[in-house]
Amino acid sequence: MPVKWLCYWQPSGGTTVSSQVLVDLIKSIESMNGVRSGRWQVTASQHRPIRRDQAVQVECARELLGVAFSEAPNKYYFVLRPDHMVVEADSTIQSIMENLQVYRNHLTVVFEYQLGDFHVKAGRAVIAHSENLRGIVLEVEYLPVSSLGKTHQLMQEFVDIWQEVAAQSMTGRIVHLEPNFGDYSLSDQYSWQHTALQYISLMVHFLSQRTN
Amino acid sequence: MECVVQGIIETQHVEALQVLLQGLCGGRQEKLKIHEICLKSGTNLGVEASEVHLLCSLSQTDPVWTVRHVGGPMRGAGAEQLPAHVRSVLESSISSNALRFFYALGYKMDYELVRIGYVFQFQRVVPITVTATMLCKVPKLHAIDEAIPVTPGIQLVELTAPASTENYSEAVGAISSFAEHLAPLIHLSKPGVPTGVVPTASTAAASLVSRGAMKVS
Repeated sequence: MPVKWLCYWQPSGGTTVSSQVLVDLIKSIESMNGVRSGRWQVTASQHRPIRRDQAVQVECARELLGVAFSEAPNKYYFVLRPDHMVVEADSTIQSIMENLQVYRNHLTVVFEYQLGDFHVKAGRAVIAHSENLRGIVLEVEYLPVSSLGKTHQLMQEFVDIWQEVAAQSMTGRIVHLEPNFGDYSLSDQYSWQHTALQYISLMVHFLSQRTN
Repeated sequence: MECVVQGIIETQHVEALQVLLQGLCGGRQEKLKIHEICLKSGTNLGVEASEVHLLCSLSQTDPVWTVRHVGGPMRGAGAEQLPAHVRSVLESSISSNALRFFYALGYKMDYELVRIGYVFQFQRVVPITVTATMLCKVPKLHAIDEAIPVTPGIQLVELTAPASTENYSEAVGAISSFAEHLAPLIHLSKPGVPTGVVPTASTAAASLVSRGAMKVS
């Protein structure tokens, strides 16, 4: 599977992220000969355990994070961060979890992409049903190679070039969010489980940021 | 959803059952070895107590994990009249860290067992799956290589077929009709309804096996 880097736009001090930033970033991609080619969506959810008796503690994970990709519609992924675990299952696992009624959906973040070259997507992260913009998201994909180690320098150089192009008209910077894949027993060969962990990590980052 | 009937057969008659199934539909037979772990939700977790099964298929080179949730049987006067259970079933393949995942979610192991035997698959109006398996208990935690039969000499036979709210009558009819063909060797009925072995199974089995041997030679 091609390696993906997940980045986000970090506005300069004193400024906030806005939809105009996305418009400017898309222009910067188009100026590098990027072409609009479709829409993608990633849906990340935060679940909390259900306790029958609120006064009694339960021995279980306090937070269950899940993510689904429009590019991989038959799969669903869970991440348990304290346990350093990524779980891959069929999309029917969502129905199973609904039937078990042990965890309840607390919050959903939708990543909506509008532009895609064979390398790059740019989009926004919003809280579902509220259109509350939490961040601008950038995904860079390198098709020929699946090794994280072998692609690291090349991907960094691409992001640096993109940063220079964007800086001609925008303040702020592109930040690459890189989870420690080894902590979750994920190998150098890139997979959807690596992607799931990147999106979950970015969702947690956005939710931890204050909003106006 | 699925509909299901089950019964028991003496292990010595399983070969005759294979001959009968081959003769009826020439279906594909595959070996089956499944490590099954039943998990129950911990105290106070969830809207109500729940149960989920992890199945690890050991028949292939690499183990394949599945998580399975079975709902209660259909209820009501109509359901009581049906010769088979109709129940909701949801399955999902899952990565090999499934057990650690469900432990982290607050589930605890209730029991584990190993099923060893055969699975046959046919198409008769609906896809029908027949399994004949020995149930084996695991003496120490996850010691599946040391599993020992719960009832030596007796195997469990199950017929299942997928169903939907629109076609469950048809599916029930299909497996009931198919079960009648197996009547010389085994009584099949709803799970939980005791049937016992067929008294004349030995005679039927001997006839089937000798007919099967004649065909081969």
